[in-house]
Amino acid sequence: MPDDADQPFDLAGCLERVRQRDQAAARELVEHLYPLVIRIVRSHLPRRVAEEDLAQEVFLKMFTRLGQYQGAVPFPHWVSRIAVTTCIDHLRAQKRRPEFRWADLSESEADVLDAAMTNENDVAANDALAATELVQKLLAQLKPDDQLVIRLLDLEQKTIAEIAQLTGWNQSLIKVRAFRARRKLQKLFQELQRKERA
Amino acid sequence: MNHKTNDPRGAWQRLAAAARQAPERQDTAAPYGFATRVAALALAQEARVVSVLERFALRAVGVAALLALFSVALNYEALAPVPAAAAPGIAAYDEPELAPTDDAVAIVLGLAD
Repeated sequence: MPDDADQPFDLAGCLERVRQRDQAAARELVEHLYPLVIRIVRSHLPRRVAEEDLAQEVFLKMFTRLGQYQGAVPFPHWVSRIAVTTCIDHLRAQKRRPEFRWADLSESEADVLDAAMTNENDVAANDALAATELVQKLLAQLKPDDQLVIRLLDLEQKTIAEIAQLTGWNQSLIKVRAFRARRKLQKLFQELQRKERA
Repeated sequence: MNHKTNDPRGAWQRLAAAARQAPERQDTAAPYGFATRVAALALAQEARVVSVLERFALRAVGVAALLALFSVALNYEALAPVPAAAAPGIAAYDEPELAPTDDAVAIVLGLAD
């Protein structure tokens, strides 16, 4: 007897059934796309927003706009774009950016920052979690659009073309945002060094 | 803190490289009940949108019917057929010999008495 888990997911058939308001098909579609959506949501999660709430919002938007899906791009790409734009909308809604201070860093975060700011030693691999926390704090200082670009470029290592496809922004705009974001990060590091010396 | 060889330009790249080493969370399956809840909400939301449209469509039909009735009532006199006996003045114009004599064309052509 063939196992259901081994069968490839029939996305086209499932979408057709969802269009006919089949609740079981809608549930299957959510379960199938959840890993994709939650990865995007987790990497661009704004402060004080629960990942599950954001994922739910993405899926509700997906169902609402399902009639607009023409099949020009693969369905998961289309859903990824909805997820990215939903995250950016939430990031934009957060007007205030938390202040970044050396004193607020944990010991391991301060060590990682110290290692990153000096060329002498690389950041230890076991400090990856502290580095992630620190990166989140630094990125929170940037404008939402710049945050998104720098996350996709430097953390997820996506190409400019892939980012353009995901966000709908043109490639020049993405390059400008990346340049602006890196310059701001550079300034932040310099400021931190100056304060630390003082 | 070591300040011997500070390089703020490369600091971000080193930090990002370290952050990329962090293990990705593996729990990517939908939490229990999530898919059911979202599917139910999505279909309910869709039904609500349809019912709102239906309601607006019915209201629009009602308003259109009322407007049609109102305009007919307002222009009733113009639209209603006028019986000849009820309006002798109007019927008289149908007779050529009873045409008014102050017609300029009739005067010029010498038709007026």
